[in-house]
Amino acid sequence: MVDPASGPFLFDTSAQSWLARTNQPELLNWLRAYLSRHPVHVSAVTVLERSRGYSLLWRRAHQERRDSIESARIAYLSALGRVWALDGATAVVAGEIMSLLPNPPTEPKRSHQLAEARPERLARWRFDGMIAATALVARIPLIHNNAADFEAVRSAIERSPERFPRLGPLELIRCASLA
Amino acid sequence: MGPARSLIKAKKQRTTLTLPSDSLAKAKSIARARGVNLSTVISEALSEGLQLHAAAERSEEVIALYRKAFSGFTDDEVSILDGVILEPVTRR
Repeated sequence: MVDPASGPFLFDTSAQSWLARTNQPELLNWLRAYLSRHPVHVSAVTVLERSRGYSLLWRRAHQERRDSIESARIAYLSALGRVWALDGATAVVAGEIMSLLPNPPTEPKRSHQLAEARPERLARWRFDGMIAATALVARIPLIHNNAADFEAVRSAIERSPERFPRLGPLELIRCASLA
Repeated sequence: MGPARSLIKAKKQRTTLTLPSDSLAKAKSIARARGVNLSTVISEALSEGLQLHAAAERSEEVIALYRKAFSGFTDDEVSILDGVILEPVTRR
């Protein structure tokens, strides 16, 4: 159990949507308690990933579904919370992370007849590095739903502390352990 | 009445409240201990309560917006919203 008052926390892209869709009462209560004290903090990279997602779905959808996708996008943008910019310090740290871990630790995702292309997987891995860098520079814990990727980043940072002066450790919190 | 005077009038207003005896006794005790009047203690407590209420309302608003932002999508579509761009597999 993580005390909501001990925030703020940075929410990874998939963590935010996972929490938003949960039907578990204890997690919803945790989110309520958190939101009554802090805004959701996200990286600008999360806003980028999400905006691209809504746009892709809108382009792929039939005309009759486009309005509902646009309404969902507007709802998302109306609840953005605190967005952390990818500034100079974050870019420097993200560059170090990408240099330490040039390749993603897991394979591209697959689902039925759908698959993630390798270039997309690499781009997503780099985005994860930018999100981890944002949490490090902001000195706030990162709530995630992607242990394989973020634990790899955390371990790499711990193995090379000289490349991250006065930063770290990267504090990670799994979504499932929140409540 | 000028704007400044109406602002002053809007800041404080006399009213009559019916409060639980034990809460009132505690408020009087706090007022005595702090050397302030009862109105100050009660208005501070009311202000804190109203802030909590406003925070709870904001929280519900954000949750409602989140529900709208992520409902009506399949799991694969939510993956796309999460930045996992899935494309149909092409067979060779």
